[in-house]
Amino acid sequence: MARSQKKGPYVDEKLYRKVEKLNQMNRKEPIKTWARVCTVVPEFVGHTFLVHNGRMFNNVFVTEDMVGHKLGEFSPTRTFRGHTTGTKAQRSTGAI
Amino acid sequence: MPRIAGVDIPDGKPIRIALRYIYGIGPANAELVLKEAGIDGQIRANKLTEDQLAQIATLIDNTYLVEGTLRRAISQNIARLRDIRCYRGDRHRRGLPVRGQRTRTNSRTRKGKRKTVAGKKGVKALK
Repeated sequence: MARSQKKGPYVDEKLYRKVEKLNQMNRKEPIKTWARVCTVVPEFVGHTFLVHNGRMFNNVFVTEDMVGHKLGEFSPTRTFRGHTTGTKAQRSTGAI
Repeated sequence: MPRIAGVDIPDGKPIRIALRYIYGIGPANAELVLKEAGIDGQIRANKLTEDQLAQIATLIDNTYLVEGTLRRAISQNIARLRDIRCYRGDRHRRGLPVRGQRTRTNSRTRKGKRKTVAGKKGVKALK
Protein backbone atom coordinates (compact mmCIF):
# COMPACT_ATOMS: atom_id res chain seq x y z
CA MET A 1 0.00 0.00 0.00
CA ALA A 2 1.23 3.49 -0.80
CA ARG A 3 2.21 5.90 1.93
CA SER A 4 -0.36 8.43 3.13
CA GLN A 5 -0.26 11.70 1.18
CA LYS A 6 -0.78 13.59 4.41
CA LYS A 7 2.59 12.58 5.73
CA GLY A 8 4.51 13.48 2.61
CA PRO A 9 7.59 11.57 1.50
CA TYR A 10 9.86 10.00 4.09
CA VAL A 11 13.17 11.79 4.09
CA ASP A 12 15.92 10.96 6.53
CA GLU A 13 16.29 14.07 8.71
CA LYS A 14 20.01 13.90 9.26
CA LEU A 15 20.76 13.19 5.65
CA TYR A 16 18.53 16.03 4.51
CA ARG A 17 20.25 18.49 6.82
CA LYS A 18 23.60 17.39 5.53
CA VAL A 19 22.53 17.95 1.94
CA GLU A 20 21.08 21.35 2.76
CA LYS A 21 24.33 22.35 4.40
CA LEU A 22 26.25 21.37 1.29
CA ASN A 23 23.75 23.20 -0.90
CA GLN A 24 24.19 26.38 1.10
CA MET A 25 27.93 26.16 0.79
CA ASN A 26 27.44 25.32 -2.87
CA ARG A 27 29.62 22.31 -2.50
CA LYS A 28 29.22 18.74 -3.56
CA GLU A 29 30.88 15.83 -1.92
CA PRO A 30 29.87 12.21 -1.56
CA ILE A 31 27.76 11.48 1.49
CA LYS A 32 28.03 8.10 3.12
CA THR A 33 24.65 6.85 4.25
CA TRP A 34 22.80 3.84 5.52
CA ALA A 35 19.43 5.51 4.97
CA ARG A 36 18.24 3.28 2.14
CA VAL A 37 14.61 3.99 2.92
CA CYS A 38 15.08 7.71 2.40
CA THR A 39 13.15 9.13 -0.56
CA VAL A 40 15.12 11.10 -3.12
CA VAL A 41 13.88 14.69 -3.05
CA PRO A 42 14.67 17.42 -5.63
CA GLU A 43 17.29 18.94 -3.32
CA PHE A 44 19.40 15.80 -3.73
CA VAL A 45 19.81 16.18 -7.48
CA GLY A 46 23.42 16.45 -8.54
CA HIS A 47 24.79 15.05 -5.30
CA THR A 48 26.56 11.76 -4.94
CA PHE A 49 25.64 9.36 -2.20
CA LEU A 50 27.41 6.31 -0.99
CA VAL A 51 24.52 4.01 -0.21
CA HIS A 52 25.19 1.02 1.99
CA ASN A 53 23.96 -2.32 0.75
CA GLY A 54 24.81 -4.31 3.85
CA ARG A 55 28.36 -5.00 2.78
CA MET A 56 29.73 -1.94 1.07
CA PHE A 57 28.83 1.53 -0.11
CA ASN A 58 27.62 1.92 -3.66
CA ASN A 59 28.16 5.11 -5.58
CA VAL A 60 24.84 6.73 -6.46
CA PHE A 61 24.87 9.93 -8.47
CA VAL A 62 21.39 11.40 -8.23
CA THR A 63 19.78 12.66 -11.42
CA GLU A 64 16.45 14.37 -11.90
CA ASP A 65 14.76 11.15 -13.00
CA MET A 66 15.51 9.53 -9.66
CA VAL A 67 13.34 11.90 -7.64
CA GLY A 68 10.60 9.97 -5.88
CA HIS A 69 12.55 6.73 -5.66
CA LYS A 70 14.28 5.49 -2.53
CA LEU A 71 18.03 5.56 -2.21
CA GLY A 72 18.10 1.82 -1.61
CA GLU A 73 16.68 1.15 -5.06
CA PHE A 74 20.02 2.18 -6.52
CA SER A 75 22.20 0.03 -4.33
CA PRO A 76 21.49 -3.64 -5.00
CA THR A 77 21.84 -5.98 -2.04
CA ARG A 78 22.23 -9.22 -3.94
CA THR A 79 24.94 -10.48 -6.22
CA PHE A 80 23.91 -12.89 -8.92
CA ARG A 81 26.73 -14.03 -11.09
CA GLY A 82 24.63 -16.35 -13.22
CA HIS A 83 24.42 -20.12 -13.24
CA THR A 84 27.33 -22.28 -14.28
CA THR A 85 27.03 -24.03 -17.60
CA GLY A 86 28.92 -27.20 -16.73
CA THR A 87 27.59 -30.46 -15.37
CA LYS A 88 27.83 -31.42 -11.73
CA ALA A 89 30.77 -33.74 -12.41
CA GLN A 90 32.72 -31.09 -14.25
CA ARG A 91 32.17 -28.60 -11.50
CA SER A 92 33.32 -30.92 -8.71
CA THR A 93 36.60 -31.63 -10.51
CA GLY A 94 37.14 -27.94 -10.93
CA ALA A 95 37.01 -28.09 -14.72
CA ILE A 96 35.07 -24.86 -14.79
CA MET B 1 -17.62 0.76 -40.64
CA PRO B 2 -16.93 3.29 -37.87
CA ARG B 3 -13.40 4.48 -37.18
CA ILE B 4 -12.31 5.85 -33.83
CA ALA B 5 -8.83 6.79 -32.65
CA GLY B 6 -6.97 5.91 -35.83
CA VAL B 7 -7.15 2.41 -37.14
CA ASP B 8 -9.62 0.75 -34.82
CA ILE B 9 -12.73 -0.40 -36.66
CA PRO B 10 -14.96 -2.38 -34.30
CA ASP B 11 -18.40 -3.10 -35.74
CA GLY B 12 -21.71 -4.83 -35.08
CA LYS B 13 -21.19 -4.98 -31.32
CA PRO B 14 -22.76 -2.73 -28.68
CA ILE B 15 -20.68 0.43 -28.61
CA ARG B 16 -19.63 -0.06 -24.99
CA ILE B 17 -18.07 -3.37 -26.04
CA ALA B 18 -16.77 -2.10 -29.37
CA LEU B 19 -14.83 0.72 -27.73
CA ARG B 20 -12.80 -1.83 -25.81
CA TYR B 21 -11.12 -2.85 -29.07
CA ILE B 22 -9.14 0.36 -28.74
CA TYR B 23 -5.84 -0.20 -26.88
CA GLY B 24 -6.16 1.78 -23.68
CA ILE B 25 -9.94 1.67 -23.39
CA GLY B 26 -11.21 -1.06 -21.09
CA PRO B 27 -14.61 -1.74 -19.56
CA ALA B 28 -14.37 1.16 -17.10
CA ASN B 29 -13.13 3.77 -19.57
CA ALA B 30 -15.69 2.69 -22.18
CA GLU B 31 -18.53 3.33 -19.74
CA LEU B 32 -17.05 6.68 -18.72
CA VAL B 33 -16.68 7.88 -22.29
CA LEU B 34 -20.27 6.98 -23.13
CA LYS B 35 -21.62 8.56 -19.97
CA GLU B 36 -19.73 11.75 -20.74
CA ALA B 37 -21.04 11.75 -24.31
CA GLY B 38 -24.55 10.86 -23.18
CA ILE B 39 -24.82 7.89 -25.53
CA ASP B 40 -26.57 4.63 -24.75
CA GLY B 41 -23.96 1.90 -24.56
CA GLN B 42 -26.28 -0.76 -25.98
CA ILE B 43 -26.48 0.83 -29.42
CA ARG B 44 -24.57 -1.15 -32.03
CA ALA B 45 -21.44 0.51 -33.32
CA ASN B 46 -22.72 0.69 -36.89
CA LYS B 47 -26.07 2.19 -35.77
CA LEU B 48 -24.43 5.32 -34.34
CA THR B 49 -24.82 8.60 -36.19
CA GLU B 50 -21.81 10.44 -37.60
CA ASP B 51 -22.24 13.10 -34.92
CA GLN B 52 -22.16 10.58 -32.10
CA LEU B 53 -19.07 8.94 -33.50
CA ALA B 54 -17.33 12.28 -33.87
CA GLN B 55 -18.26 13.12 -30.30
CA ILE B 56 -16.80 9.88 -28.98
CA ALA B 57 -13.69 10.29 -31.12
CA THR B 58 -12.91 13.80 -29.90
CA LEU B 59 -13.62 12.82 -26.31
CA ILE B 60 -11.16 9.94 -26.49
CA ASP B 61 -8.57 12.03 -28.32
CA ASN B 62 -8.69 14.73 -25.71
CA THR B 63 -8.87 12.77 -22.49
CA TYR B 64 -7.23 9.38 -22.95
CA LEU B 65 -3.87 8.04 -23.97
CA VAL B 66 -4.63 5.33 -26.48
CA GLU B 67 -2.90 3.14 -29.03
CA GLY B 68 0.52 4.35 -30.17
CA THR B 69 0.75 7.20 -27.72
CA LEU B 70 -0.04 4.93 -24.80
CA ARG B 71 2.35 2.24 -25.96
CA ARG B 72 5.08 4.85 -26.30
CA ALA B 73 4.33 6.27 -22.86
CA ILE B 74 4.61 2.82 -21.29
CA SER B 75 7.88 1.94 -22.97
CA GLN B 76 9.25 5.34 -22.01
CA ASN B 77 8.38 4.67 -18.38
CA ILE B 78 10.22 1.38 -18.53
CA ALA B 79 13.15 2.98 -20.33
CA ARG B 80 13.33 5.57 -17.56
CA LEU B 81 13.54 2.84 -14.93
CA ARG B 82 16.30 1.15 -16.89
CA ASP B 83 18.27 4.35 -17.34
CA ILE B 84 18.39 5.32 -13.70
CA ARG B 85 19.70 1.85 -12.89
CA CYS B 86 17.30 1.22 -10.06
CA TYR B 87 16.13 -2.16 -8.85
CA ARG B 88 12.96 -2.16 -10.91
CA GLY B 89 14.88 -1.19 -14.03
CA ASP B 90 17.28 -4.01 -13.39
CA ARG B 91 14.43 -6.51 -13.19
CA HIS B 92 13.05 -5.26 -16.48
CA ARG B 93 16.47 -5.60 -18.05
CA ARG B 94 16.80 -9.17 -16.87
CA GLY B 95 13.27 -10.13 -17.81
CA LEU B 96 12.37 -11.14 -14.27
CA PRO B 97 9.27 -10.17 -12.29
CA VAL B 98 9.48 -6.57 -11.12
CA ARG B 99 7.17 -6.49 -8.13
CA GLY B 100 8.84 -8.86 -5.71
CA GLN B 101 7.21 -12.11 -6.78
CA ARG B 102 8.96 -15.39 -6.13
CA THR B 103 11.21 -16.73 -8.83
CA ARG B 104 12.14 -20.09 -7.36
CA THR B 105 9.08 -21.46 -9.09
CA ASN B 106 6.58 -19.94 -11.47
CA SER B 107 7.30 -16.51 -12.98
CA ARG B 108 7.04 -18.27 -16.34
CA THR B 109 5.35 -15.33 -17.98
CA ARG B 110 8.42 -13.18 -17.48
CA LYS B 111 11.06 -15.83 -17.80
CA GLY B 112 9.59 -17.54 -20.83
CA LYS B 113 9.67 -21.22 -21.58
CA ARG B 114 11.57 -23.47 -19.21
CA LYS B 115 15.25 -23.89 -20.04
CA THR B 116 16.11 -27.35 -18.73
CA VAL B 117 19.56 -27.63 -17.20
CA ALA B 118 21.29 -30.97 -17.84
CA GLY B 119 22.43 -32.86 -14.77
CA LYS B 120 20.09 -31.07 -12.47
CA LYS B 121 17.95 -33.03 -10.03
CA GLY B 122 14.82 -34.40 -11.64
CA VAL B 123 16.07 -34.32 -15.21
CA LYS B 124 16.51 -38.10 -15.33
CA ALA B 125 13.00 -38.56 -13.99
CA LEU B 126 11.69 -36.51 -16.90
CA LYS B 127 13.08 -38.90 -19.49
